[in-house]
Amino acid sequence: MSTVKNALPALVLLAAGFGLATVGYLVLDADAAAPDAAPPAPAAASSASKATQFTLKNGLQVVVIPDHRAPVVTHMVWYRVGGTDDPPGLSGEAHLFEHLMFKGTKTVPNGELSKIVARNGGQDNAQTSHDFTVYFQRIARDRLPIMMGLEADRMVNLDLSEPNVTTERDVVLEERHLRIDSEPQALAQEQMEAALQLTHPYGRPVIGWEKEIRSIGRVQANDFYQHRYAPNNAIVMVAGDVTPDEVKKIAEDKYGAVPSRELAPRVDEPTPPRLAETRLNFAIAGTKLPQLLRMYRVPGYVKAPRGTAEAMEVMSAILGNGATSRLYKTLVVDKKLAVEAGAAYDGHNRGPGTFVVFAVPRDGIGFDTLETAMDQVIAGIMRSSPEEGEFARAKTQLIANYTYQHDNQYLMAQDYGTALSIGLTIQDVEDWPNRIRAVTAADVRKVAQTYLVKEEAVTGRMSPKAGP
Amino acid sequence: MTKFVLALLALLVPVAANAITVKSVQGPTGVETWLSEEHALPMIAVNISFPAGSAYDPADKPGLANMTASLIDEGAGDLASDAFKQALESRAIQFGANADRDYIVVSLITLKENADEAFRLAGLAFAHPRFDAEAVERIRVAILASLKQEDEDPNRAAAKAWYAAYFGTHPYGRPQAGTPAGIAAIKAEDIKAFAAEHLVRGGIKVAVSGDITEVQLKKYLQTLFTPLPAKSGLPVPKPTDLGRPGTRNVVRNEAAPVAIFGFVGPMRADPDYIPAFVTNYILGGGSFSARLMDEVRDKRGLTYGISTQINDFRSASILVGSVQSDKTKILTALDVTKSEMARFAKDGAMANELADAKTYLTGSFPLGLDSNAKIARTLNGYQRAGLDADYVVKRNAMIQAVTLAQVNAMAKKYFDPSRLVVVIAGTPAAPQPAQKP
Repeated sequence: MSTVKNALPALVLLAAGFGLATVGYLVLDADAAAPDAAPPAPAAASSASKATQFTLKNGLQVVVIPDHRAPVVTHMVWYRVGGTDDPPGLSGEAHLFEHLMFKGTKTVPNGELSKIVARNGGQDNAQTSHDFTVYFQRIARDRLPIMMGLEADRMVNLDLSEPNVTTERDVVLEERHLRIDSEPQALAQEQMEAALQLTHPYGRPVIGWEKEIRSIGRVQANDFYQHRYAPNNAIVMVAGDVTPDEVKKIAEDKYGAVPSRELAPRVDEPTPPRLAETRLNFAIAGTKLPQLLRMYRVPGYVKAPRGTAEAMEVMSAILGNGATSRLYKTLVVDKKLAVEAGAAYDGHNRGPGTFVVFAVPRDGIGFDTLETAMDQVIAGIMRSSPEEGEFARAKTQLIANYTYQHDNQYLMAQDYGTALSIGLTIQDVEDWPNRIRAVTAADVRKVAQTYLVKEEAVTGRMSPKAGP
Repeated sequence: MTKFVLALLALLVPVAANAITVKSVQGPTGVETWLSEEHALPMIAVNISFPAGSAYDPADKPGLANMTASLIDEGAGDLASDAFKQALESRAIQFGANADRDYIVVSLITLKENADEAFRLAGLAFAHPRFDAEAVERIRVAILASLKQEDEDPNRAAAKAWYAAYFGTHPYGRPQAGTPAGIAAIKAEDIKAFAAEHLVRGGIKVAVSGDITEVQLKKYLQTLFTPLPAKSGLPVPKPTDLGRPGTRNVVRNEAAPVAIFGFVGPMRADPDYIPAFVTNYILGGGSFSARLMDEVRDKRGLTYGISTQINDFRSASILVGSVQSDKTKILTALDVTKSEMARFAKDGAMANELADAKTYLTGSFPLGLDSNAKIARTLNGYQRAGLDADYVVKRNAMIQAVTLAQVNAMAKKYFDPSRLVVVIAGTPAAPQPAQKP
């Protein structure tokens, strides 16, 4: 929680608010990167299910999560479409399309949707990841019918005229400037992901390569709309001061008439084999702080046998979450080789997950020395099972963090939505703390031994370089 | 406007009042404390502000407040850093602090079952911080690294330069997080002296939300503050010599430079504040609904985002905005911004813009108060702004009372583009002619 410590991962180290950057659009607006897909979990060890779900006749799945603490709701529409569905040569299409969803319909003029939401006292935005695209509004409970009306309308009636597409493409190019091109670390991360995933679509940036963004036009956008945006490809999530019965009535009224469509098949790309480790040395102009970053391609929640991803969570926490974690303790406190070090696991994907380890060297410490020490820490967790204290601490923090996360209605809804949109179930979400409890020390050692192998890793060294 | 939209507007009615009740708790230590009791989740969120921000840094040691805040969880009493961190992490207690310009703001989040230990550790950290040499050096290098990293970001570089340009030699002009030279010059004795002088009972503001009763909280207030000296610090002096209007450039190679622009804003206690807050919403505070977002992003595609806000400090207030754009477009984006300000000052707002602003600002109010962490953070902010505990009850009526004449007067009084202090981080190229919307 301090300014400079324990911020994970390195790529967002210091990303926390700075005086001017606290305004809505920076925090909430269409996000090119995959959102932090923190594992979902209920507030406490679940006795009864908190969420209810039902499906409308047109195939629309609806999930309701009551939260009566404030008279507000979070309404989200999750589409099972994302960066992985971008056609070859058109990376960024799903994300640009997310922007186009705000450009108006026959009845709601361009730019008007967000204004209608605001006029009703609400906030809205959207986000695209490799696997999903989500649109949401946070608003007073009695405005839910209006929000559902707006979402149902743009599910079928979007106005994709040429000027709308070209202006919004310019906005997306500016977004790329802001989020990627002017951030040396983001540029390096984009390259590392491409190297890690080889030809798998997770290697393409969600925001798109600049030249490919420029080739997306109206025709492509319309094709995308016709085959991806439909009630039978969406999940509506309502968290807040509502009951399942009232949501069902409103949902049937507002979404019920939207016809289902034939969907483009969603390709489940196999992951190509990796036969050797990859090493990338960056010297990107504008880099001020050297950094050592390693990404491993590891199993995620969807494909791996039950318990694998959970053991990865505990392993990640022991290695790199907080000041008592092994990486921080060894590299920063004891050996004084780094100013910051940590790890993070993201397993909420349809395809492979990612495990990231990073360290920022102290002045005068070379990358070789730092990487050797980092490798020793990683070797340690492969060699023997964790000690009792660190093992218990990791689990306690993981489980408590989900109570803290469920304190926030938006994040709670996002937990459920992320899980359901990648093919997990409500029970998977609500049972998560119990599955973390069930992880054994031997499981932790086993996942480390099995998955932290160099052939599955890309190691990046970012060296400082002055602007040209 | 279509029928559909009109139909939506017809539905507008004042939104239900927010659900929270804020109680002012008279703690035995005399520290200003607000409580919002909420028993739905077994957790407690606490924000504590000490008047000890970067404005109190000595001129030759900018960063002292930041360093003190960053060391707050690095050991206290008999517990050295590692033992203290283990005590926190083994119970998933989240504890840390940041320094803003006026205050060190501490955040404490705990499960209810660990509340005794959470408040005990926080109290220990306030009264008996260790500032061991090992921790001081470790945090020093971490802050130095973070300053370097901040320097990679044109937004931060621009903001830093803007504060220096606007506030000059006043303490608000110094970088909040410090400078490399300042951080390097700070000794452990400086930190100990700073903590002894500023971590005192006078001026502390506490906001608490969650699964806790008034009786329990009173006990914890004893734990937190009884050991602290009952004295007060000095207020920050008002700035007297503000930066001249005009555009300054931070030379950097940026494909997309960032511009920060701003001028004087109303103080929080000024009767102008609420009308100006509403007026700013219409200009640039309303995200997608704001005039600037409309003109600069939606109609011309010149930027991903542009916004303005009022930043009120204890001894000054500014109205600032930021925009990032391609280097061939940034000057055009600024020109459009300036002409929108001038147009607003000259022609004022439309009645429907004011009505929309009111519906949004009043209707969205409960969205900021729907979780324990947000409630504690928001209430603590109100306390720092000098507001009363019933502000959450009165606030929407104050917004509703703003008239169009007031908005127009505020626009005339504040939105004078010739007074703008502008800092651009990055080097603009020749602008392309503005695309006609």
